[in-house]
Amino acid sequence: MATVEYQRIGKSFGSVTIMRDVSFKIDDHQFVVLLGPSGCGKTTLLRMTAGLETVSEGEVLIDGKRVNDVHPRDRNIAMVFQNYALYPTMKVYDNIAFSLEVAKLPAAEIAKRVDRAAEVLNLTAYLDRYPKELSGGQRQRVAMGRAMVREAAVFLFDEPLSNLDAKLRAHMRTEIRQLHNRLKTTTIYVTHDQIEAMTMADRIVVMRAGKVEQIGSPDDVYDRPASKYVADFIGSSAINFLPGTVVAADGGAAVDTATGQVRIDAAVAAQPGQKVVVGLRPTDLVVDANGPLSAKTVLLERLGHDAQLFCRGADGSFVAIVDKAARFPEGSDVRFAIPPSKVHVFDAQTEIRL
Amino acid sequence: MSVAQVKRIAISDSPWPWLLPLIALLIVFTVYPFFYNVWLSVHEFMPRTRSLKFVGVDNWVQLWNDARFWGSLGVTFAYFAVALVIELALGMAIALLLDAELPGFGALRAVLSMTLVIPPAIAGMMFLLLQDPQFGVVTYLLNWLGLLDKSTPILATSSTALAGVLLAEIWQWTPFMVLIFLAGLRSLPAEPFEAAMIDGASSFQMFRRLTLPMMSRVIAVAVLLRGIDLFRVFDYVFTMTSGGPGTTTYTLSYYAWQQTFSFLKWGYGATLSLTSLIIVMVLAEVFIRLAKVRW
Repeated sequence: MATVEYQRIGKSFGSVTIMRDVSFKIDDHQFVVLLGPSGCGKTTLLRMTAGLETVSEGEVLIDGKRVNDVHPRDRNIAMVFQNYALYPTMKVYDNIAFSLEVAKLPAAEIAKRVDRAAEVLNLTAYLDRYPKELSGGQRQRVAMGRAMVREAAVFLFDEPLSNLDAKLRAHMRTEIRQLHNRLKTTTIYVTHDQIEAMTMADRIVVMRAGKVEQIGSPDDVYDRPASKYVADFIGSSAINFLPGTVVAADGGAAVDTATGQVRIDAAVAAQPGQKVVVGLRPTDLVVDANGPLSAKTVLLERLGHDAQLFCRGADGSFVAIVDKAARFPEGSDVRFAIPPSKVHVFDAQTEIRL
Repeated sequence: MSVAQVKRIAISDSPWPWLLPLIALLIVFTVYPFFYNVWLSVHEFMPRTRSLKFVGVDNWVQLWNDARFWGSLGVTFAYFAVALVIELALGMAIALLLDAELPGFGALRAVLSMTLVIPPAIAGMMFLLLQDPQFGVVTYLLNWLGLLDKSTPILATSSTALAGVLLAEIWQWTPFMVLIFLAGLRSLPAEPFEAAMIDGASSFQMFRRLTLPMMSRVIAVAVLLRGIDLFRVFDYVFTMTSGGPGTTTYTLSYYAWQQTFSFLKWGYGATLSLTSLIIVMVLAEVFIRLAKVRW
């Protein structure tokens, strides 16, 4: 078990700087997800933690000790790779046992640990197979088993589920999280999938272009996105953005947008006349004949338990989650309301939350 | 043929227009000589009447009782085994070294292939000079190192002649192994090695448990290609020792050549060649079966 700390990490490849001034700390037992689109530096940060990539600037500390120049094998970490990186010429048993074999553990101890991991991961029947004889999900589990038996202080996952189909991905998501609940090993998990981040993380680190955009619990980043970028990235029906101007409105403030006037929370530090962008989550919009936002319906997409209504407003397209029983003929007028506390307000220039 | 006819053939679905030239070549240069060789092996050339006489299995009986044949087979196997082991080991070592991206290694990799464009007979002549007892550099160096007595001519001494021939062989063909292995090393995926690094493996452990097994198919191809060639060695023996001193460097191919063209025993020469072919085919087949891997 260990903490991991990044102090002003920077990374350059030649003259290209891809990361600058990244600092944060991961507590013992925590499951932290590095979230961001491809190219944001999340995998690079993970590989620097593993020692597979040199650190250009700043310091990486594992359990308080600087590890910048420590060989990967001496960092007491285990890593699961995106394409699993199994040893193709070894059977499942040896894949899992490899780290223990090179550490020259007694054979009985190795067998005990491999068998235990295989049991937890449902791999007992496959120990005598080669990686190419396994399905994607099984390979994924072998990669996890390989990490588990090491009893490392930190687990590193590099988009481990991205090569699996949707159903298996959801299944492995819960398995990985359950495993963490049992082992309590400090975990850093890289993904571009915000659902994985939301469902698995104790804390999410949202990254953008080599910088940390926001760090917080899944609820924090969902309910209080620090920037327009975070608001856009988190949430499975993407958030709606409407540009507008702050105005005073009976006893509080509101934002005038072309689609309608939106009341905002009193706590929002916005000055009348300020140019802003409001973010409205599709799930927070309520169909209301007297609501301030007006639009024309385009398409109703049924999702099973509810439906996604695509509309066109004065500011362009617009999505709301609605009751699936409701009828919305194409091209009909529809009005929405939203509670002020659910309205996210971002400065139009800086795109930072107000 | 008119243009229209050619066009019709070119766009037809039939594979034969494309296969025929190759098949014709194969028949002329492989199939016909093979069957002619089989036919020859049950005949013998009669120099006085300048004709071929059917002799049945006489050549094969002679082969079985021919101590020279068994001796040449032993020499061939020794040559084959020593050259293959050294070329494989040395080739792998050099390939691993050159795989590193150090300044100048790119040029070095290019230079390596130069030995392969030299005709083996010429290489044999070069090494004949290099091992000359009077002015050969190799002789001089070995004398200087105290490994060789000054009065010993390498290629004319029965205990060192085969080694002398092998020197040319290894010099010329190790780069072939290096190039094949380099290509193999370059195509290995990086991730398993990163995983092994984290798993705590040392460089040697990674080489033994990952590189070598992952290279096994490449190594098998190299062994097969080089092994078949080694079994037929002729040029170096012909240019450097002519099989001598005595019969210490008499390889099977050289013996077959001598029987056929020096002694004009065409039938017996054909029998020796055919034997060589059968041994190579059996060895290759056994090797391919052994080299099959499940992963």
